[in-house]
This record gives sequence, structure tokens and C-alpha cells, in this order.
Amino acid sequence: MLIEQFLQALTSGILLGCIYGLMCVGLAFIFGTMGVINFAQADFMMVGMYLVLAIAGSLLAGTALGAFAPFLAAFLVGPLMFGIGYLLHRGLIVCTTGLRIANQIEAHQAQLILTLGVALVLQNGALILLGSAPASIISPLSYAAWEIPLLYNDFNVLFVNKAHTYNALICVAVTLSLYWLIRNTRVGKSLRASADNPTAAVYMGIDVDRAHRIAFGFGTAIAGLAGGLIVLYYPVQPLVGMDFLIIMYAGVVLGGLGSLIGAFWGGFVIALVQQLATLVLPLQLQNATVFIVFLLVLLLRPQGFFGRTVDRA
Amino acid sequence: MLEVESLTVAYGGLRALTNVSIEVKTGELVCVVGPNGAGKSTLFKTISGTVLPRSGKVLFEGVDLSTVSAARRGHLGIAHVPEGREVFRSMSVMENLEMGAWAEAGRSRFAETLERVFSLFPVLAERRDQLAGTLSGGQQQMLAIGRGLASRPKLMMLDEPSMGLAPAVADTIFESISQLHREGEMAILLVEQRVAEAMEYSNRGYVLQTGEVILSGKFDELSKDDRIRRAYFGM
Ligand SMILES: Nc1ncnc2c1ncn2[C@@H]1O[C@H](COP(=O)(O)OP(=O)(O)OP(=O)(O)O)[C@@H](O)[C@H]1O
Ligand SMILES: [Mg+2]
Repeated sequence: MLIEQFLQALTSGILLGCIYGLMCVGLAFIFGTMGVINFAQADFMMVGMYLVLAIAGSLLAGTALGAFAPFLAAFLVGPLMFGIGYLLHRGLIVCTTGLRIANQIEAHQAQLILTLGVALVLQNGALILLGSAPASIISPLSYAAWEIPLLYNDFNVLFVNKAHTYNALICVAVTLSLYWLIRNTRVGKSLRASADNPTAAVYMGIDVDRAHRIAFGFGTAIAGLAGGLIVLYYPVQPLVGMDFLIIMYAGVVLGGLGSLIGAFWGGFVIALVQQLATLVLPLQLQNATVFIVFLLVLLLRPQGFFGRTVDRA
Repeated sequence: MLEVESLTVAYGGLRALTNVSIEVKTGELVCVVGPNGAGKSTLFKTISGTVLPRSGKVLFEGVDLSTVSAARRGHLGIAHVPEGREVFRSMSVMENLEMGAWAEAGRSRFAETLERVFSLFPVLAERRDQLAGTLSGGQQQMLAIGRGLASRPKLMMLDEPSMGLAPAVADTIFESISQLHREGEMAILLVEQRVAEAMEYSNRGYVLQTGEVILSGKFDELSKDDRIRRAYFGM
């Protein structure tokens, strides 16, 4: 019996881990490309969750897409959120990034306060517009599962939720595509150059502010997409971001600040720990366990799983 | 091709350049020398637009650059090889060169550029997939120059390319600069502390001191000036 429970928790941990991984990738991407710690990231997820409710619940309702409507909606939310992030950077964030910054520490303070402000506006704006009642959406796939027989035991099967599986596959695919884009495309390389040495990037003729706009847009889009996917198993309300914020930060730090793939594993591990902890601990201690593991990792491997041991000179 | 007209630059209240005027003509190799803190790097940064002048202007091919953003200037044909190399450390040698070719002029002739850079600095060809941050100082300088060349500039500005290099490596760098000059495709503006070498290779020069041009002209004339002889040749 115990083994089945373990395998079941492991399965949900892996599936949830892919979404947490994507969440962390969004945050790490913004940090890695523009050095900004975005406190509004979790609230972009909230916006993404509501947008999926709106799109799947009204626009796509009753279409032939049926069970797949929420997934398609999540994909539409991506570009929409990209636009929002892009414009937000153009209008606001740009004031605190790029070459106009003389002092990195002051810049970080300004970015912190600015993104915190954006977070508060989003939260309170949502409260005013949408009220505090939780809302949710379900696809028939949320209830559907593949039943995998356990070889050694005829009485039990492992349930693999279909909606969660599709979510997980999308998250892995998006993470890998983003990684590929950043490594191999011209624009991706210009984002890395702008992050590596903004002054030199400008000498090359790269518009560093534009690079940052694109990076911020991508980070926002990923938050929106992750929110849009997770809404299938997590009800949304205006302050839902709080539930994800800590997970995201812990995941990014675990993965080693700035590393995309590292951030994915960071989020992944957190979900695994959360789910496995439910086997032995009361549900309320889920997040406490996450922190204990987090502190242990930091003690034993302060640079994170994927962090560089050698500082950049 | 490049005219700098009575440029004054200040950082906060501190003046770094006062009324500096210099000129570079097509195909010339012009050198700027001067002690530490004279304002040489500031002059370069003002030309490439990352530092804004308090007054005065920079004309490139007759165009006033005061309303042209720093990033746009890279597209006009100005390449800045900055002091301390400033390569993209976390990117490979090839990627650094690709970034150098970001501007249209560089992009369309990238294959040709690669050949040229690799024949000038064969070691870069061997190490094309190595991360720039792991190259030696001399190799990084070669990469910085190669990256500058990749934009197919009309004017290349080199800020102390021999800084911190062993004499033999510095000689290689000087030799390559001189070769680029002889090929005559671009004008070169060079800042150097090694005045003897700089004089040997340049057409003309300017002597900058505490933000002002105190002397200018052909180097054989400059070297007759007592102040220069005392300061740079110990005579
Ligand atoms: N970002 C800055 N903020 C304040 N002052 C600066 C800044 N950059 C340069 N300065 C000052 O401006 C003056 C000129 O500096 P600059 O770097 O142009 O000199 P340089 O001739 O290139 O010197 P070196 O030979 O050491 O490279 C110096 O007094 C320097 O302290
Ligand atoms: Mg200097």
C-alpha cells in the first residue's frame, strides 16, 4: 500500500513539478537577461489565470475544441501577456534598467519598489474589478486519468491525470524552446550579449533597451502561460500569486540564479518535495518542508544546483 | 570623416574634457596619447555615445551625432574596441564575432569577415567554440578587435589595445593594427600608452592632458617637443 502511495505522490510531484519549473523559468529568464528581480511575476500568473477563464469560458465555450479549450486559451494568453510585459517595460520598467543606471544597487532598489508597485496594482485592481471570490475552470480532462497497472500488484493501479500530463508536456516543451531560442537565434544571442555586457552590446549597435523589452515580454508571457495552465487545478482569486511567489523564488535560488534549466529543476524539486511530504506530514506543513529542503540545499550547495562555482570576473 | 568640435564633458561636477577638438580623415591612423586620467577613454565614449557631452559636437561623415543614439552609431560604421576588451565572457568566440556583426553592414559580409579575422588572428579560429571569458588576455584583445572588425566599420576606435599584455603579444596586436591600416579599408583612432610604438605606426597624433589637447601634429614634430620628450622618452 505504501509503495502505491509513494508512486502516486511521485507521479503528481513530477507533473506539478513541470509547471513549477516553468514558473521558475519565467522569473529566472527576467533575472538572467536584465538583472531585475520581478516581484510582479506571480501576479502576472494571476492575470494569466483570469485571462484563461475569460477566453476559455466565453470565447471558446461551446466550440468544437471542447476539452482542449483551456489549453488553447493558455496558448493565446502567452502572446497577450508578451504584449503586456513589452508595453509595461517600455512605459515603466525601462526607467530603472539598462545603461541609464549608474549605480547597480540603487537600480535594484528602484526595480524592487517598481515591480512591487506593479504587483500591488495588479492585486488590488483584480480585487476591485473581479472581487475576492475564487473562480475556477475545469476541463473534462481534469477528471480523466490513464490507469497504469502495477506489475507486481493486481489490485492497484497508478492514476495519471490527463490534464496534468498535457500541462506538464507543454511546460517542458516551452522551457526547451525558450532555451533553444536563447542559445541559437540571433535575437536570443543579443539578449545574452545585453545581459553579459550591456555597454559592449551598445557598441555593437544592439539596442539594449529593446532587448530588455523583449526579455521582459517573454518572462511575462511565461508567467501568464504557467498561470493559464495551473488554473486547471488551482482556483484563482486576486491574491493567488502569494501562493506561488515563495515557490518561484525558492526554485530560482535552488537552481542557481540566472540559469534557465537550473530554475526548471529548482521548481521541479520543490513540487516533488511538496507532494512527497504529504505522505508523512500533515498537509499544512507542505510549505514548511519546502523551506527546510531549501535551507538544506543552500547550506550544502550555496550556489544552487546549476550555479557557477566561479564568479564572473 | 570624424570631426570632434570643442567637446566638453563632465561627470557630475568634474570636468573630464575641456574644449577638445580632433579630426580623423578617411584611411588615417590617428593616435591619442596622454597620462592616466587625461580623458582619453571619455573622448571615445563620447564619440560612441555612451557618455553625453555638456557642449560641443561630434560629426561623422558630416552628420551631427548629437541626436543619434549610441546603439544607432554602431550601425553608421563606428566600431569601438573598448579599454579592458569587454568581450562577452559567457559567450563563445564565434558568438562574440556574430554580435560584432549585428549591424547590417557586418551581417551581410560575415563569412568574408570571418576569413579575414581568422587569418589576422589564427588562434581565434582554433578556439572558435571556447567561451570568451576563458581566453587569455591577449586572445581576448584579439577577439575584441575581431569583434570590432566584424561590423565592417568605417572608423575603428581602439582604446589601449596593448594594456596588460606581454611585449611579444602587444607587438602582434600592433602589427595587426598596422596591417589593417595598410589595407586602408577604415580609419583608425588609437589610444595608446606605449607612445613610441604608437608614434611609429600613426600618421598623426594628439596629446591629451587633464582633459585638454595640449599638442597635436605629426609625430616626428611632436617628438621634438620638450614636454613630450621629458614625459614619454625620458630625455
Ligand atoms: N563614470 C565616471 N564617473 C566619474 N568620473 C569619471 C568616470 N569615468 C571617468 N571619470 C573621470 O574622468 C577622468 C578621465 O577619465 P578617462 O577614463 O577618460 O581617462 P583615460 O585618459 O582613459 O585614463 P587611462 O589612461 O587610465 O585609461 C578621470 O579623472 C576619471 O576619474
Ligand atoms: Mg582610458
